Amino acid sequence: MKPINILIIIALVTLLILSISPYLGLNVADADIQHHILTQLRLPRVLFAFVAGAGLALCGMVFQAMFHNPLATPFTLGVASGASLGAAIYVYLGFSFTLLGLDGGAFAAFIGALIAISFVYSISRYQNGFSPETLLLTGVAISFFFSSLILFTQYLSNLTDSFQILRWLMGSLTTVGYRDILQLLPFVSICVAAILWLTRELNLLMAGDDIALSRGVPVQHIRYSLFFVTSLCVGAIVALCGPIGFIGMMVPHICRLLIGSDHRWLAPASLLFGGSFLIVCDTISRLIIAPAEIPVGVITTLLGGPFFLWLLIKSRSKGA
Amino acid sequence: MTVLLEVKQLSVKVANKALLSSINFQLEQGDYLCILGPNGAGKSTLLKALMGIIQASEGVISLNQQPLTELSQKELARQVSYVPQAHNHPLNFSVIDFIKMARYAYHSAFSDWSSDDQQALEHAINITDTEDFLYRQITTLSGGEAQRVMIAAALCQQTPLLLLDEPTSFLDPHHQVEVHQLIQNLNQQHNISIIEVSHDLNHAAQHSKHILALKQGTKLWHGPSPELLETTRLQAIYEQQFVFTTHPQTGAVVALPSELQTGNVQ
Repeated sequence: MKPINILIIIALVTLLILSISPYLGLNVADADIQHHILTQLRLPRVLFAFVAGAGLALCGMVFQAMFHNPLATPFTLGVASGASLGAAIYVYLGFSFTLLGLDGGAFAAFIGALIAISFVYSISRYQNGFSPETLLLTGVAISFFFSSLILFTQYLSNLTDSFQILRWLMGSLTTVGYRDILQLLPFVSICVAAILWLTRELNLLMAGDDIALSRGVPVQHIRYSLFFVTSLCVGAIVALCGPIGFIGMMVPHICRLLIGSDHRWLAPASLLFGGSFLIVCDTISRLIIAPAEIPVGVITTLLGGPFFLWLLIKSRSKGA
Repeated sequence: MTVLLEVKQLSVKVANKALLSSINFQLEQGDYLCILGPNGAGKSTLLKALMGIIQASEGVISLNQQPLTELSQKELARQVSYVPQAHNHPLNFSVIDFIKMARYAYHSAFSDWSSDDQQALEHAINITDTEDFLYRQITTLSGGEAQRVMIAAALCQQTPLLLLDEPTSFLDPHHQVEVHQLIQNLNQQHNISIIEVSHDLNHAAQHSKHILALKQGTKLWHGPSPELLETTRLQAIYEQQFVFTTHPQTGAVVALPSELQTGNVQ
């Protein structure tokens, strides 16, 4: 099948999911309450899930291409932990500032994410090229390091803040409203626009730095731009709904199997698929033990863990 | 003859280790230069410096009298193309998509595929004889096929200068001859200047026009290829004694490593 047709199918399925999911689990008789739940609770939540899922999937796709490794994502490389630490410190210090109408937490998370990616990148460069093992182990080490700092922050916090941090670390979309979408949208939009702009560069980066340079890609420049925009995107998502793991790994990989490795198709496919995937996960988290809810991060991680192992075993058996 | 490439006092240091020191040479348009030397002599480093992959620590590399540092990576890619050493990244692209991607330097973010692009593509495919497997995945190709695809992609860049890093090292004799003939054809019929890193000194002596011998990051010798095959010269380059014979068919002089142990020649 042609990539364009596959993309159209993904778009149609996305539309279907967008329009059905708000109605699922809606069992109140009163029409007014029903209307209120739909427009004030469900709709913003579904839209938010779409934007966040799309952003996470695209950032994952970029990392996989830049590091030539399907296991490399903002989460496995510790960037999300860095963002979490930034946001946790923001909560702990009781800061509250806005920049251009945007909440300061996202900027704190952005700085945390940038610090983490600088760490991973300079260590893997120091090691002379990215051996997949070095890269992932560096990511794991950095995740541990930042997680312990988050625990430390939590330990120092009072009970309310501590619970707030814990709840948010699980990754949840429970409380989002229209305001959160407006908070998130600028960051994700900048990131999405940059990535869609750089799809041809991403294709060449996948072929390796030397080839990309010889074709005329200013590799270093592009890499830093991508680090910057993905940190922005992951930072904002993590600050608003916590580290929702593994979407950035699963979605682009599945899309690659569906539509191929050409980023001109893969990027829009991952965007749509990622958005609908998070909506589906969130709907499951809402319905599975209704009326109670599980944090959506628990669902994605439950799915993602086995997927990660499957990828690891598959890439091992290939000897890649 | 016009000078295409000029390298002046080029030094490359990585982490305080000198990989190349004070290299000087010129390449005229239409030349076919082979870079020889023992492992670790800095051959690949030199090619990478010419391609802007590694930055020069000192010295100047100029293309058509213009220093490399004044060219953007895209501008450079319209003048120089590069075939790296045997490539290990799992390239999940079809052959044709991969070759098309080489037109990057002629495009901006959303520009369309032009008739110039199409011409360059068809030309590259024709010369390298790759049309039989255009729609296969690169990962499924044999070593010889993959190398032809890598060369096709470099040709699609339509550059006056082509750099090749050990293009035949991992190929069987049949495919070695095939790729060597292709490179010669590019140089002679299509007037592309070539710089090739090689370990095959007989091939270099017979088919290239000039030879640049490197050793421990310095230039040992630069001269016309037929003058390479001399006892003292080869000894100096490889610290190995060679004996000479003639090719039964062509009568060309052929060097073979001596079987007698002679100890280190200083």
